Amino acid sequence: MAILVNKKTRVITQGISGKSGKFHTEHCMLYGSHFVGGVTPGKGGQEILGLPVFDTVYEAKQATHCNATMIFVPAPFAAEAILEAEDAGVELIVCITEGIPIRDMLEVSRVMRGSHRSRLIGPNCPGIITPDECKIGIMPGYIHKRGDIGIVSRSGTLTYEAVWQTTLLGLGQSTCVGIGGDPLNGTNFIDVLKLFEKDPETKGILLIGEIGGDAEELAAQWIHQNCTKPVAAFIAGVTAPPGRRMGHAGAIVSGGKGTAEGKITALRDAKVVVASTPAEMGRAMQEAMHKQ
Amino acid sequence: MNTHEYQAKEILKRYAIPIPDFGIASNKHEVEKIIKDLHLTQAVIKIQVHAGGRGKAGGVKFAKTPEEILKVAGSLIGMKMVNNQTGPQGVVAHKVLISRPLEIKKEYYLGAILDRAHARPILIASPEGGMDIEEVAEKFPEKILTLPIALDGKMHTYQLYRLANFMGWKGETAKIGMKVAAGVAKAFIETDASLLEINPLIEDPEGKIWALDAKLSVDDNALFRQPEIAGFYDPTQQSPNEVAAKEYDLAYIALDGNIGCMVNGAGLAMATMDIIHHFGGAPANFLDVGGGASKEKVAEGFKIILADPKVKAVLVNIFGGIMSCATLAEGIIAAAKELGVKVPLIVRLEGTHVEEGKKLIQESGLKIISVDGLTEAAQKAVGALK
Repeated sequence: MAILVNKKTRVITQGISGKSGKFHTEHCMLYGSHFVGGVTPGKGGQEILGLPVFDTVYEAKQATHCNATMIFVPAPFAAEAILEAEDAGVELIVCITEGIPIRDMLEVSRVMRGSHRSRLIGPNCPGIITPDECKIGIMPGYIHKRGDIGIVSRSGTLTYEAVWQTTLLGLGQSTCVGIGGDPLNGTNFIDVLKLFEKDPETKGILLIGEIGGDAEELAAQWIHQNCTKPVAAFIAGVTAPPGRRMGHAGAIVSGGKGTAEGKITALRDAKVVVASTPAEMGRAMQEAMHKQ
Repeated sequence: MNTHEYQAKEILKRYAIPIPDFGIASNKHEVEKIIKDLHLTQAVIKIQVHAGGRGKAGGVKFAKTPEEILKVAGSLIGMKMVNNQTGPQGVVAHKVLISRPLEIKKEYYLGAILDRAHARPILIASPEGGMDIEEVAEKFPEKILTLPIALDGKMHTYQLYRLANFMGWKGETAKIGMKVAAGVAKAFIETDASLLEINPLIEDPEGKIWALDAKLSVDDNALFRQPEIAGFYDPTQQSPNEVAAKEYDLAYIALDGNIGCMVNGAGLAMATMDIIHHFGGAPANFLDVGGGASKEKVAEGFKIILADPKVKAVLVNIFGGIMSCATLAEGIIAAAKELGVKVPLIVRLEGTHVEEGKKLIQESGLKIISVDGLTEAAQKAVGALK
């Protein structure tokens, strides 16, 4: 089972001719993901990594019946690439690109909220992986091990840390979803929590959040009201100074809102086991599983 | 990116927002010229720094004669302002804004910001000006009006009427006020702003509306299409380390502690600061060398960390994903040799080719403390200070 991606997922890469696009497509294919094509405007008809290249997503979808796309298009053009994929009706849009202007994302957010056929993951995210079946993104594949834990995170390398800890503890992962570190993103914590709740393979959920916004607080509320599975969490940024943006555009404490303390309290109130340090994420998950 | 008040005011002028006459000076001659050109007999003089709280810090002064303007401006040029927004190192004002004073009948607040939860820009208005808007929101939430801004920056007429009535504006005052609100909304969108604030917006005894202050922060990711604003970048308002980090596209923030941190990925960088704190230490900085950190970036990161005299130990925490730990280890070794690291250096590598990376470090002959887990890394870093 797992969620969103599996062996049957047919993936294309938008921006396949770029250095990163090509590099990561190759690594995803080596992992075993089923890539069927790529898109770069003006390069239709060529072949890259043995995959057919198209000028538009529409043509790629007609020819390959892809149902997922991985976007590596440079930031100034990435919002348009997302809109193009939605317009072509690609079900899963995974945008790895970081640095997309917020004004561009306002339009994307509006379109994605009204879209009934497409889901956006990211932007500014490591991607999504169902171990041993399908990797769409930049995460190192070998740290994953197929198992019971659904992981959802706003961060990149901190997610790898969580993955590695659950792998070492033998828990393994059903699917890992990086939702991205931008203030405006597609899929949010609650969207992914709902999917994990329904997925029979997922036995426990690990949520990794950070300062800024109120996504973790809303997730805590949803967990409290709806979630039957054990949940563990870690929130990064307890020591972050207010008013300073900590790398991610979304990670900023402003006006006393979005603090790590507020998020941790909300999660604990929802009976979530919150790891006290980032080294304890796997163990917090174990503890949550035992409690239930 | 932050801009100075005078730069924000120059932009707002183009949106037909009334701003009292002002000039900008960085020396005595320029001050004299402004006094002469604007025929000033009195003036408000304000330091230009990228930080709030200027009034309380003594950076805003009123002068009652031309001689006094010259004297006060002279004393404010070069002033170093230190408060909780600037950090202990403070920021220096290289310029002052000299403005024609206005008589104030009432102060208001007008601003625009991104509403993350609803994915839309909003205009915020309040008849309680001059105060910190977050304080108003907390104490008198009924005194704040928020209106969504369309993605093209246009406000509907009915929204502007609502705003004018909410502010208590009538007649000519309402007319000017509505124009100002429409201008703020349009400027916010067209400049790719993340924050645009007029606080205070004031009404003079004749019922005219003026912007007395202006704050504009622009989305860094949009600077490629905002060449004028990109040109406003002022390295004097940041620590030399932050300037160097920007040059190499590293995310760096100076903090108060003494353990220098170099991490790949923003989330892991924050988490590393947190775990240092958990074990009783204090991080000297936040430094994200990027998820796909390269050898060169690691070397630059090192230079920046070691340039901070407070740093008494360095903790490197890298989760090698796509980038091999061996490559990163080479970067660390090269930088450590070149710079002659005199403080304890704790390195925690994990991920791709981690064994090779560790071996390279062991065989380097350098006094690097190689550790396995995050907990051990933080404990060793904190312990190294004792």
